[in-house]
Amino acid sequence: MFTTGSKLLLGATVASLVATLVYGILAGGLMGTIGLVSATAALGALAGIVIFTRDANIAADDIDAVASAAAASDRPGAGMWPLAIGLAAATMTLGLVTYTAIFILGLILLIAGAAEWMLQAWAERASSDARHNAEVRGRLAYTAEMPAAAAIGLGIVIYAFSRVMLGLPSKTSTIIGFSVAAALVLAMGALVGSNRKVSAPTLTGLFAISGVVLISGGAVAGLNGEREMKVYKTTAYYAAKDECGAEEVSADKHASQTVAGKASQAAEITLAADGLTYKKPGDVTGRTDALQLPRSNANNIVFRNETAEPRRLLLELAPDLEGSPPRMCTQLLKEGGAALLTVNFAVPSFDPAVVDNGGYAFTVPGVDGARLEVVVP
Amino acid sequence: MTDDSFIHDRTMSSPAGSVPTLDRVSTRSLRRVGIVGAATAATLGLSSCATDAPQDTWQPAGENAQMIHDLQWPIFMVAGIVGVIVLAFIGFIVFKYRDKGQPIPEQTHGKAWLEYLFIAIPAVILAAIAIPTVGVVFALAETDDTECIINVTGQQWWWEYDYEVEPDGTICGFAPTNGEASPIITSGQVVIPAGTKVLLRGTSRDVIHSYWIPKLNGKRDMVPGRVHYLRLSSETPGIYAGQCTEFCGLSHANMRMETVVLEPADFQSWLDNELEPYSSPDDGTLAKQGEATFIAQCARCHQVNGLVDDRGTADTADDTIVVSYPDQFVYSGAAPNLTNLMMRNTFAGATWDLLTPECRADVWEASPEEFGAAFLKGVTPDCFNEIDMREWLRNSPAKKPMYADAEMLAETDGKTRGMPYLALSEDQIDELIAYLLERK
Repeated sequence: MFTTGSKLLLGATVASLVATLVYGILAGGLMGTIGLVSATAALGALAGIVIFTRDANIAADDIDAVASAAAASDRPGAGMWPLAIGLAAATMTLGLVTYTAIFILGLILLIAGAAEWMLQAWAERASSDARHNAEVRGRLAYTAEMPAAAAIGLGIVIYAFSRVMLGLPSKTSTIIGFSVAAALVLAMGALVGSNRKVSAPTLTGLFAISGVVLISGGAVAGLNGEREMKVYKTTAYYAAKDECGAEEVSADKHASQTVAGKASQAAEITLAADGLTYKKPGDVTGRTDALQLPRSNANNIVFRNETAEPRRLLLELAPDLEGSPPRMCTQLLKEGGAALLTVNFAVPSFDPAVVDNGGYAFTVPGVDGARLEVVVP
Repeated sequence: MTDDSFIHDRTMSSPAGSVPTLDRVSTRSLRRVGIVGAATAATLGLSSCATDAPQDTWQPAGENAQMIHDLQWPIFMVAGIVGVIVLAFIGFIVFKYRDKGQPIPEQTHGKAWLEYLFIAIPAVILAAIAIPTVGVVFALAETDDTECIINVTGQQWWWEYDYEVEPDGTICGFAPTNGEASPIITSGQVVIPAGTKVLLRGTSRDVIHSYWIPKLNGKRDMVPGRVHYLRLSSETPGIYAGQCTEFCGLSHANMRMETVVLEPADFQSWLDNELEPYSSPDDGTLAKQGEATFIAQCARCHQVNGLVDDRGTADTADDTIVVSYPDQFVYSGAAPNLTNLMMRNTFAGATWDLLTPECRADVWEASPEEFGAAFLKGVTPDCFNEIDMREWLRNSPAKKPMYADAEMLAETDGKTRGMPYLALSEDQIDELIAYLLERK
């Protein structure tokens, strides 16, 4: 009853109807809904006509034509591609009135479906041997179909699994969930490996159930949303609140205490028993005078703590400068620890806003007299 | 067809007067090659006689460049001798065994002693070159003997230099005659004292640049976020020209620099002049009007140290120090400091001279003994290259290619790369020139 052409149009009609309902209910755009309803009606009418005329096949009483007509040859194999193309066309239409991404998805589906349909049609006429034709088609198509199917399948698995992991309520449950999933995969592998008599249908069923569980879990977790992620406060947070003191704060936990970027430091500032000293690249000995740093450039300052007490370096900037934090600080460093502070001075140190604030200066909270003035010309 | 007949058939022979024979073709070709070769050799030979070649790597004027020269000269000689021998041998073989219709000689393979020889000779030559090369590379990277550190920063398309004040209150070992030292910022020309081992500490504010004063040292890339060193020194006072040698955008070819070497006494004079407090033009003069124009039109990017806005505003009755904020307008975040512009010989990335050609020649061609006095005169009204400066102020992007088209600045959030068109009137340009001429 359903000819090739009618399958295409019926599929498009159903997809367009679904799109109309989805869009009409979720988005509720008047013009879009009217457009989709019109498309559904038009596609439905075309589908009816094609079913009635049976793809415009020639009349049965035209015997000569019937003998050579396509309908007189072997019935083409069943194919889902017309349906897929119809779905793709409806998706594109939906995309036109909603999101570009949906349109692009429909376009990709349309191109893929058309390519597959053409390939199938070509293969069915390759010879009179249906098995050979199928082999020819497979040889051509599998090189693209298999990687694409694998990528899509893996993408679905990864995405669904990630939704589940992000949806679990805590870090502990994530670890447990991951371990359970890994144990199940391992157990399934061990079971299949040890029992070679497991039939293909059993394996297929096993995989199908696993897939359904995973996708369902991913969908549920995705709809529930991700758990609340803990935001760790940084030194910038405490600096903004003027809480870069001598005491330990949460930003000081797990401080690395080492600096890797040794080659490109603008200056190295050291806190020792006698206070703050600095060295710049090319300098031989430590200096205690004002530290000159260039303006409008990223200055990498390495701070080293050579005292027994945990200390941090604090850089006082100006509170009223647009685009510049009022101060910056390193994490609390143990004896021998080092940290990097990258600062870009947007204005010179003789700017009234800086002067009124006491000038640029490095200090160490909790150490009286540890102050290093910064000159930015 | 036998081998012999095949070989014989390959020779070009034809009725006389119809098609040129191989011999006639070869003679004509050889003549052409000879003419081209002679012309090339003559060009090269004549160019080596050029006297006005400020970026000649074969005329070192400092110990670092001399080290490179002492290394490259013998290597060039050896390479030249090897090249001549090889080319002569190839020429001899090509000529002697040219195709005259003779049979192809017997082909043999595998003369081990010859192959060993051809491996051994280059290996020995390369080893002989490598040993002094490594020594020079390490010597050029030495920083322990530094006597003066100057920071150099590249940006599209000019170089900024800043001199730091040492803990003892000196700059490059020179204490100011009057008052205290403070950092000096300049651009285009870096001034160094003769006989002083200077270490340039370089970086970049936007893209990779490369610093090269051929007569004083080799090249050094300046990479954003990194610090690089380059030694400079010379015993001979004078100006040494250079050029950015890493493609850095539209006006890469117009990113030049000069190193000025002064005798210690002249350097002291230059330093004292740089540290002089700001001097405002006299009231009622064109230059005074230029000061106001500068504050209104130029000071948002260009800093002039000590400049105060004494015009008075509704908000500030007192004099207000004028601070530039180039990072709000320029992608690199910097514009040349113009405090003592007229003590430099160049502007706009050392692309144009501030001096007229005659006065420029007086400075460039001065003897080492007279150079300091000639340079320290700075730019006088008589010697001022007003033509180029006017064109620059009138429409700088038209004079030097820069990314200053507002429609193309979306990528940099509206910030220009280089100086934008300011739509200055001719009166404003007159005022600015009068003001700038006093910046020395």
